[in-house]
Order: sequence, then C-alpha cells, then structure tokens
Amino acid sequence: MRKSTAWTIFFFVLGLFSLLFLWPLTRVITGGFYVEGKVTLRYLLNVFRNPIYAEGMLHSLMLGVTTTSIALLISVPLAWLSHRFDFRGKKLLNGLLLVPMILPPFVGAIGFQQILGQYGVLNALLGLGPVDWLGRGRFLGVTILQALALYPILFLNVTAALANVDPAMAEAAENLGCPPLKRFFRITLPLIMPGLFAGGTIIFIWSFTELGTPLIMNYTRCTSVQVYDALREIGSNPFPYVLVFVMLTCSVMLYAATKLIFGKQAYAMQSKASIGYSARQLKGWRGAIVALPFIAVISLALMPHAGVVLTSFSVPGSWYKTVAPTMFTAGNYVDALGHGMTVTSIRNSLLFSSLAVLLNMGIGISIAFVVVRSKIRARALLDALAMIPLAVPGLVMAFGYLSISSLLSNLSWARENPVWQSWFDVRTNPTLFLVIAYAVRRLPYMVRSAAAGLQQTSVVLEESAANLGASPLTTARRITLPLITANLIAGTLLAFAFSMLEVSDSLMLAQRADFYPITKTIYELFQLIGTGRYVASALGVWAMFFLAVTIIGSSLILGKKLGAIFRM
Amino acid sequence: MAVGVRIENLAKTFDRTIAINDVSLDIQPGELFFLLGPSGCGKTTLLRCVAGFCDPDRGSIHIGDHDITRLPPHKRDTGMVFQSYALWPHMTVKDNIAFGLQMRKMPRQEVADRVSGALDMVKMSDRADHNPNQLSGGQQQRVALARALVVHPQCLLLDEPLSNLDAKLRVEMRSEIRRICKQAGLTAIYVTHDQKEALSIADRLAVLHEGSVQQVGTPQEVYHSPVNTFTAGFIGETNLLKAEVLRRDTSGAWFSTPLGEVASKVSALDSLNAGDQVTLSIRPEAIRVSSPPESAPNAFNATIHDTVYLGEVAQHRVSVFNAIADSGETTLKAFDLNPRIVARDTAESTRVWIAPEDVVVLGE
Repeated sequence: MRKSTAWTIFFFVLGLFSLLFLWPLTRVITGGFYVEGKVTLRYLLNVFRNPIYAEGMLHSLMLGVTTTSIALLISVPLAWLSHRFDFRGKKLLNGLLLVPMILPPFVGAIGFQQILGQYGVLNALLGLGPVDWLGRGRFLGVTILQALALYPILFLNVTAALANVDPAMAEAAENLGCPPLKRFFRITLPLIMPGLFAGGTIIFIWSFTELGTPLIMNYTRCTSVQVYDALREIGSNPFPYVLVFVMLTCSVMLYAATKLIFGKQAYAMQSKASIGYSARQLKGWRGAIVALPFIAVISLALMPHAGVVLTSFSVPGSWYKTVAPTMFTAGNYVDALGHGMTVTSIRNSLLFSSLAVLLNMGIGISIAFVVVRSKIRARALLDALAMIPLAVPGLVMAFGYLSISSLLSNLSWARENPVWQSWFDVRTNPTLFLVIAYAVRRLPYMVRSAAAGLQQTSVVLEESAANLGASPLTTARRITLPLITANLIAGTLLAFAFSMLEVSDSLMLAQRADFYPITKTIYELFQLIGTGRYVASALGVWAMFFLAVTIIGSSLILGKKLGAIFRM
Repeated sequence: MAVGVRIENLAKTFDRTIAINDVSLDIQPGELFFLLGPSGCGKTTLLRCVAGFCDPDRGSIHIGDHDITRLPPHKRDTGMVFQSYALWPHMTVKDNIAFGLQMRKMPRQEVADRVSGALDMVKMSDRADHNPNQLSGGQQQRVALARALVVHPQCLLLDEPLSNLDAKLRVEMRSEIRRICKQAGLTAIYVTHDQKEALSIADRLAVLHEGSVQQVGTPQEVYHSPVNTFTAGFIGETNLLKAEVLRRDTSGAWFSTPLGEVASKVSALDSLNAGDQVTLSIRPEAIRVSSPPESAPNAFNATIHDTVYLGEVAQHRVSVFNAIADSGETTLKAFDLNPRIVARDTAESTRVWIAPEDVVVLGE
C-alpha cells in the first residue's frame, strides 16, 4: 500500500472517528465538569457523597465483579475440558454452549422470572410457597442471568487462547515431573491470561453498565438505571453526566490496564505449535462424566430461553403457580404481528442495522487495510482507536449521542431548518443517531474480521497482481476482497445481529413509538399490563430465531476462528 | 550411574497409518543414540513414546530395570528438549531451569546451586534473569538443554533440537551437545532427519523408514556398509547398480553389472552364490575420475557430462559405456574431493575406477 493512500485513509477515518465517537465522548466527559460556564468538581464529589448515587455505583460494581466471576467459573473449566479431552458429542455440546448468545439477557429475564419467580415453575414443582429464589433485591437474579448469557464470549476467548498455546509448553512441564493440576496453574493459566482478561474485560464492562436486565428485573438501585431515569433532565442536570463519566472511567481504566499488562506479552502467539496436538480420547463412562458439566451449564443457560418460548405460546394468565402453562395458543404471535408497534419495530431494526452495517463495512475494511497492509507508524494508533468502542459502555455512548442531539437541534441554524432539526433531534427522528451508535459500537468486530482475513492472505498474492499490471484498486477488488469474503461475511453477520438486538442505545435514543427498534418494543410491551409480557415473548422468540440463524451462519463460515472476533 | 533404554516390539498406529511397526532397540548406558530417518518415518513418535506423550499399542519400554510403558510422563524422569524449545515465556531463564527441580521438591539452596551449575555448563550464566524471548535461537537452545539436563534425567530426549537454527550455529551446537552429554555421562536419544548431524556426533544410530528399523550401527558401519537400498540412498549419496553374482572366492566376489564386470572385496559376502541377483552400492566419492594404476580392477572408460564445482568437491556426472554387454550407457555420480582439474565443457573422455573395497553388496 502506498504511503500517501495509507495517510489519506488514516486522516479520513480519524476525522470520521472523532466526529462520531470522540465528540460525543467529550460531551459526556465535560458535561459534568463544565456547568454554567464554570469548571467545577462539585458534582463529581457530590455523586460520591449522595448516598443513593454512591449505593448505585457500589451495586453496579458488584454486578460487574460478580457476573464476571460467575462467567469465569463457568467457562474456564469447560474450555479446559473441551481442549484436553475428546468425547462423544463434544462438537454438539461446544456448539450448544454458544446458544445463550442468541437472546439479549434482558429478554431472557422474562422467561427467568416465569421459572424462578415467586409464583414460578420451581416453586410449583417443589410444592413450595412463594419462596424468593432470585435473592433479596434481585441482585443474585441479575448476575446469574447476565453470567448465563455472557459466558459464551469468555468461553470462546479461553478456547482460542488454549488452542494458541504450543502444546509443547505443557508437555515440557509434564516431562520435568509436573502433575496435571499444578501444570494448569503454573504453565497453562499464565499463558492464557491475555485471552482470559480480554474476555473478562468485555464481560465486566458489559455487565457493569447493562441497562436492560436490571430494568426488567426491577433492580433499580444501580447506576445504569439511575442514569436512564435521569434522562429527561439531560439539559439541566449535570449528575447523569458525572455518573456516566464514572462508569466510563472505570471501564476505560480496566481496558487500559489489560492492554498495558498483556498487550506487550502476547505469549501464546510467539511460538508456533511445533507438534500436532490431539486431545485425549475418552470412551464410555469417562466421556459421559466429562460431558456432564457441559450439559448442566447448557440446561441452566437455556432455562430463560425455554421460559420465553413457553410464555410466548401460553394463553395470557394461564401460567401462574403451575409447572407449565395450562393452556397453549399461537395467538400471541398473531397479536405480535397485528400490533402496529411490533411490525414497525421489525422494519425499523432491519433498516437501522442495515445502514449501520454498511457504514461499518466502509470504515472497518479501510481501517483493516491500513493496519495490516501499510507500514505507516500511525497504524498502531488506528488499530487501538478502532478497538476502543469495546471499552466504552453502550450506555455512555448513548448518553453522548443524546447530548449531541440536544446540542445540534438547539442550534439557531437548525431551528431555521426544520428538516435538519428533525434529523438532529432524537425525539422526532432517531434514525441518524441510532445508525451511528449501532455502527460505532460494532466497528471492532468488523475491523477484527477484516484484519484477520488480511493477515491470512499472503501479500504476495497482491504483489503478483500488481506485477501483472493491476492498479491498487483493481487488486483490492479482484484479488483481496474475494479472498477475505468469508471473514467479511462473518463480521457483517455478527455486526448486523448485535445491532438488531442492541439494548442501551435503543432504549435511550428511540423515544417515539414509530421509531422504536425491536428491543425497545419488547421492553415497552413487557410493561403493558395484561397480554404485554406474552406478546413481548413472542417477539423475543422471533428475535432469538433470527439471531440463531446469523450466529450459526457465521460460525459455519469462520469455524474455530469465531473466537477471534471477541478478542481485543 | 547412567542406565540404558530398552525398547521391545513397540508398535503404534494412528488412524490406520502405521507410525511404528515392531521396533526393538537396545540403547546402552551413557550412549548418544540417534534415530535417523526422513519425515514421517516414525522417529518422533518413537521418542514421544519414550517420553510418555504417546501410548504405544503394543510392546514395552524399559529405562534401566524399570518398565515405564504405562507410566504417565511426569513420573518417567526423562529430560526432553523440544523442537520448538517450549521455553515458558512467562518465566525467566533461571525460573525455567529451576522448574523441574522444584517439581522434585528440592531444597531452595540446592536448586540455586544446580541452576547456576547448569547455566555454567551451557555457558549462559550471564543471561539468567533474561526472558526467553530476549534470547537468540542458539541461546534458547542452550536454555532448553540446561532445563532438561539440570534434573539429571535417566535419559535425555532430543527432538530435532537444531532444526530451527541456521547452518553455522547448527554445526557449532551439535558438538556442544555431544560435549555436554558426555560430560554429564548421560544416556541420550536424539531424533533428527539430518544425516550429517547423526554421522558427526552419534555413538550409534538407528535408521528408520516407514516405522521400521532398517539398520542399527555406528556411523561408520551404517555409512560404509549399508544393508539395504534405503539406508544406502538415505545416508549420503550413492550409485545403485543391479548386478548378478558371477563367481566368488575367498578374496572377494565378481559381478556382472551394466558397467561391465565389477569386483568387490567387502567382507560378509559369504552368503552369495553364483547367479544371485543383488544390488551394488558405490558411493560417489569412491569413484575416482583419473587414470587408474596398472592392472587395477573396476576400471572403465567414461565421459564427463557436467560438473558442479563446490570448492572442496567437484561433483561430476559421468557415463560409462559397456561395450561387451551392450547394455548402453550408465550414468554415475562421481565426487572428486579436493579437485585440481575441473572440466566445465561438454563430453570430456576420461577413465574412472573403483577400489573393490568400496563396492558394497546390498541385500535387496
């Protein structure tokens, strides 16, 4: 790649990135410190002094830590077992382990409540009274629900990290007399630490700032819900800004620490495996014993899904204090399609996500090209920038876009041009900001997919095209892009699927019913008394089906490399 | 005290490909023993069976008097040097070397003493606190060797230890490895596909092909008296000639070959009878491209076709025309060591001759 081309793309992307990402971020950061023309730390300090806010932050922090710990406890042993042993049905179980990803945890919460709620399945099954299984204050319920939905990300990361370690590393220890358990803690664990932390950081940031699940589980005393409740005062109240700033700081610090500690020593990557590794074959009952924890985790993790599916098929009100619904119906699906809000929401989600993915592809592929194929020094900066959206919670970005929206729509220039104003104001039309928000947050997946493809494709293939007289653009179009198609499709599918089921941006930015995306509609339906929860479940099942197809599709295309998408 | 390694009737099959086919070897205490063969011959599988990373289907492995066939790797007390070195990147050089001693629960002071002793032995004392990835390939090699040696294993296992080094370092390290093994009095099994490595430092070597042992012997025995066409062709270069035994007496045997009549004076010709079909192996450096002494046997008229000049040697391709049998031309490789005259142009007539001591009869 020519230097001038690389620099052109670099500055173009940098400009776009500053406008779409850094600017809203700056608004968030300054909003709580620059109030009424004065720089002040008053609000930041008051946030810590205010018992309600302080408690919310503590709770959020605990949500993040507990969720991540549970996810670690689930996924590390499973990944290790799956790496070390071969047994009947392993492929199927490994695939099923990823299935929980097809449902955002906040939709799962509906099913979760049906099963573990006071008048739910478990109590009916055991013949108990209204025992509260979800824990006082619902804290335990939220964390378990989140951990069961998010552990696949960690599982993929750890599996990939394990596969990357030269098997000779563990063999050398074994050869020197190290027994299996010690070998795991002294050799394998330190070597997969980067993967562990990469996955763990993503899960921590996700659960620390998650909005949908606490909302549905009615766990209101955490920062994310407090921010959501304060949205209406965005113009006048600096507190939500400060709260968001604190969340951002925690997330970015954790991300930076991970990068700093593990970025330089990407252990696993440096020595290529010298010997073919084969997992140990377990036959008969031994295999069955190893398969047991997989089955246990899968059944637990799919419980919310089962709850949602059953709810969607039950006659409203017929599943109360019983093991299963007493009356089944497909009526909720008919209602879901008949409901004006659901049909528009599906159309809206498809439109927003498609536009976001298009934007993403353009930016993502350009970045990947510069990062992998150019020699300019600044490419490292571009690579780091493209990954930052992973470190910035969706809630923070949504808040930033809201703030930009209110700024732009109140400009005197915008006031004079009502058409522009309606585009700038999320209250009239959130399309612009939702598309940007969807795109920016999923950019890392796109860049990673494209970069992985480029790294696997030898540069010699491009050079030989150039040597035969193809211009750089022709080479890209005729040689490179076709060769990385599989990666691009996988990245696109993931970006699209995650956009379709995005929660925090959708809840916060879409404020008019005719612009609601699917997730916001599910939330609004859920809150309707009567049939709402059942219609919401029907819509949730549709979303589940849709996401299952895309994820299975991309994992078929990418195979084992799927894990690479969730790396930092 | 060093102990030997005895491998008996070992066999291993992977998904219907036979990796090791009934291999028996008796490795002497303190011996530097080589497993030599092309890739895919089963030599690494054999080594990994000794280390315990690979379970044989049949057969047994003894180290000293102990049957270790079913012992897990971490209880075997072998020290292995991996092809990729497998130095743990999250530990310093010192920690890497100390690891095996810690596993043996040695007192701290003794660990420190032995680590510094091992570092001295491989001349790496000044790098003790470095990280493995700060070291060059050769240095990593030394650390891997020290890590395996420091535990005083019953048997040292080396899996193509030099294959990741450049040519010059490889030559240097191979004599270093021999020095260290002999200094420590170790029994060692060394896997390689590089015949020069094996010939230069092995006490004895086994040539493997398709999972079976072809020949076991000292480097000289295997080079000068290969028992079959595979060994003759794999170790060094050779000319193979189809031949029929004409007659035999106490001083040697005479053969009818495409070159004409060829005499052999190597030992072990007793089993030959007139009329037997055999293959003769003649090393290129045994074919002299010059005027033979008076009444020398095995002298032929030849034409030099082309010559590759490599400095210390000139490699000629020569054709010998057999007028008597009318079997046409036979092309031979002939190496002229310390060449004075290098014919670069085409078709120069000359005489070639072969000492009867250099004509080896192969079984098949």
